[in-house]
Amino acid sequence: MVDIDWWGLIVPFAYLVVLSGTFMTFSTIYRKRKATQSANLAPWFGPHLQRNIYLSLLHMEPEANGSEKAAAAKTPKVPESVIRAALLRRAVEDIHRIIQIRTAKAACSSLLQRGSVGDDLWQRFQRAEKEMEEELRDVVMEANALAPNWGQIIFQSANEIAANTVLKQRLDEIQAQTEREKEWWEKRRSTIKTESLKKLEDESEKTQGKVGSEDEPVLVDTNTPSATPVSGGGSKKKKGRK
Amino acid sequence: MGADYAYDEEGYLWPFFVFTLTFIVTLPLTYLLVSRSRDPAAALKRVQSDYRHEHADLVDTLRKQEKRKDRKLWLLAFVMAGWAVMGYMLYLINTTEAPTQKIWNPYDILSIPESASIKVIKSTYKKLSLRFHPDKIRPDASRNETLEDLNARYVEISKAYQALTDEEVRNNYIQYGNPDGKQGYSINIALPKAMVSDGNGKYIVLIYSALFGVLLPYLVGSWWYGTLRRSKEGSLMESANRLFRAYQDDIDEGGVITALSEGKEYEDLFKGNKADSQLSRIESKILAEGELSPFAGGLSVKHKEKLQNLESGPQRKALALLWAYLGRVELDDPALNKAKLEVAPISHALNKSFTAISLAYMNTAPLLASYYTSQLLIQALPPKSSPLLQLPYFTPKIVKAVEGDSRIRTSVQSFMDRPDSKRRSLVVGKNLLTEQQYKEAVKVAKQLPYLRVAKAYFKVTGERCIIPSSLVTLVVKGRFVPPGSEKLPEVNEPDLEDIDPAEDDLDAILGRKTKKQIGKDENGKPIMSADSEPILPPLASAPYFARDHSPRWHVFLTDSKQGRVAVPPFTFAQFDRPVFQEDGRTPTFAMQTLKAQFQAPPQAGHYTFVMHVVCDSYVGFDTKMEVTLIVDEASKAAEMADDDQISEPDEGWSTTFLP
Repeated sequence: MVDIDWWGLIVPFAYLVVLSGTFMTFSTIYRKRKATQSANLAPWFGPHLQRNIYLSLLHMEPEANGSEKAAAAKTPKVPESVIRAALLRRAVEDIHRIIQIRTAKAACSSLLQRGSVGDDLWQRFQRAEKEMEEELRDVVMEANALAPNWGQIIFQSANEIAANTVLKQRLDEIQAQTEREKEWWEKRRSTIKTESLKKLEDESEKTQGKVGSEDEPVLVDTNTPSATPVSGGGSKKKKGRK
Repeated sequence: MGADYAYDEEGYLWPFFVFTLTFIVTLPLTYLLVSRSRDPAAALKRVQSDYRHEHADLVDTLRKQEKRKDRKLWLLAFVMAGWAVMGYMLYLINTTEAPTQKIWNPYDILSIPESASIKVIKSTYKKLSLRFHPDKIRPDASRNETLEDLNARYVEISKAYQALTDEEVRNNYIQYGNPDGKQGYSINIALPKAMVSDGNGKYIVLIYSALFGVLLPYLVGSWWYGTLRRSKEGSLMESANRLFRAYQDDIDEGGVITALSEGKEYEDLFKGNKADSQLSRIESKILAEGELSPFAGGLSVKHKEKLQNLESGPQRKALALLWAYLGRVELDDPALNKAKLEVAPISHALNKSFTAISLAYMNTAPLLASYYTSQLLIQALPPKSSPLLQLPYFTPKIVKAVEGDSRIRTSVQSFMDRPDSKRRSLVVGKNLLTEQQYKEAVKVAKQLPYLRVAKAYFKVTGERCIIPSSLVTLVVKGRFVPPGSEKLPEVNEPDLEDIDPAEDDLDAILGRKTKKQIGKDENGKPIMSADSEPILPPLASAPYFARDHSPRWHVFLTDSKQGRVAVPPFTFAQFDRPVFQEDGRTPTFAMQTLKAQFQAPPQAGHYTFVMHVVCDSYVGFDTKMEVTLIVDEASKAAEMADDDQISEPDEGWSTTFLP
């Protein structure tokens, strides 16, 4: 009979068990963590206010109809035009988001390849992209339900509205500066005026004084030409300070 | 007779083994340690200045702290331990005597001189055999002898006698060094016997599993997750993600600064109640009325709203401190002032990430905003502030004295271009600068490396005209002309030309001489190869920035009509010719060559680009000029080559198709 050293035999088996056990726990923990991470990714866009408004407007009807006639009388039926306007607003917001996604896509993927941004950003981005596709389809369907064939042109008009609002915003920004600019120019004009008046006075004094002393005009002459070629704005200022 | 393996029982071999092993590991680490502790910034020239602002000591301590952080303590300990082990092993090698196998010498055994004759040998043997024959003597208990010892001794003696007399035995002795013929040899394994002896096995297994089961996975894991955690630009990945989200096509410098405050790095810096403490105090300070701008922090109303809309937390504190830093606002609290100086380098590091992101979008405005933000962070200037504040002792009050109520900012160059008497009369006076301070400011201004571009043109190496899709080189020729430089020599016309490398100089054509690389491109000039040592401009004069920064220049082309980057930036940190003379302050006015290669458009035509040369360290030192790239049809190029052939028959056009 072969004498088996059971204790000695346990060691290699324990080694195998520990090894495989470690690998298994590691992989399960790793996968679980990955899953929770991707589940908890923050959405790319914030809450869609326009969609929420549209949906709440749309769902006011059944509630009012479903309960009682008195309630229906209290909350009048939402006019069709308001719902349409809400849908158009929603489409405009979608256009903004789509533009953002389209411009970001090439940049995001190239940055991901270079390792300048993280993997989870790309995941979030892809999720947002898919979400937007669904959203667009939903808007088209809703539009078709509200008015036949509206789905084909709703995004065209939304696009124009979006472009227009951007333009208007920029114009407003520029317009907002006018007050300040006006104020500054008023102030500047008055200082320039007083300066030039002073200068005129000085010059008239000089012409009078020329007869008296010989040195002074020479000094002034050497000073001015060296100062003028520097810069228009600068020399003006300096004169103002004298 | 076979090879038998023995472990190192006497302990004379394993010190060699351990010594070699430690040597292999310690030597590279020592090199690493030495190369790291040698401060690269110390070798660089600095802008000479005696100017110390009131927090200069704080800036110095922060810079030193940063350098200390680089010095890894564990590395030092490891290297020292390695050398200690090596020393001990050397000591062991020297002291332990190796058991030398005695050379078998029959003369020694018979204790006769080697010159002894046969007669002497015989007589000695007889004498000895009489004395030592086992039958004649008995073991001496006092000398610890046994019968075997006596036998062995007698055998030895007779062997020795035979070796000297018997022909065959003598041959054996001469051939193998032993009268018995060939002996077995032994191989020793340089491991101490203790390692394999019974009972120690479990410890060995323990050490083994600790090494391979714990340490190795830990090292690999920490390396892998370390690379995942940081983006390519060195900022935390999470920060880079946030910056990507904060990117906007119309972002300005203030917007970039607001975006940078989102960095995760600040969350680590302002942990717990540090995030909110004294936030209101900082905000009241930066939102106080400023001298040059509506607020002391230098932020615009738009960015003030952004700041106030933030939730209080690390981001808001970081942003408030950033504005305080940029506006050089005194916070009247040592801890806050330190934090103020600390946030800027972090933002500067984050800004690299933002630059990469804006570059991926290829829009000009955000890219420029990012570069300008870098300048502002290094010089501690708020956006749209006066570049004059870069000079020492210049405060908003003095800037006001220079600029008056003009809205056009006076750059350092235009200020310094004015005659000395004019400058002096503006800034020296009561409540303004003293004579001493003015001199210091002028001294510093005259050392700032302003790259004045003399000429910028396109060329294709070895060709006369540019054909579609060829590899075009943008050559920018310029000189470092510090503001206020006097006696500027005329531009030497030949300097402006870029000579192609000789056709037989393959190294230069292929850009193989990596040593003389300047920035990203190769230096094609064969003349330059003699002094190929790259020259670094002096470290940026940035008294408020808590890091040493070596200035860089970015050259890129944009399409002004579309507002897009046409050729991405090439970065130059080194130059081929000295910027300053030996004394470190007299400019050489040497013509520098910057080259950037890119692919020409696929269609022929005239392309007008705007070339930007942006310095990342100084405000107002940028150059923006229009350059036109003329791309000719390929047929025209062929015609010109034909012309060449006619006029210069000895230089065939086929040579232009060299690799």
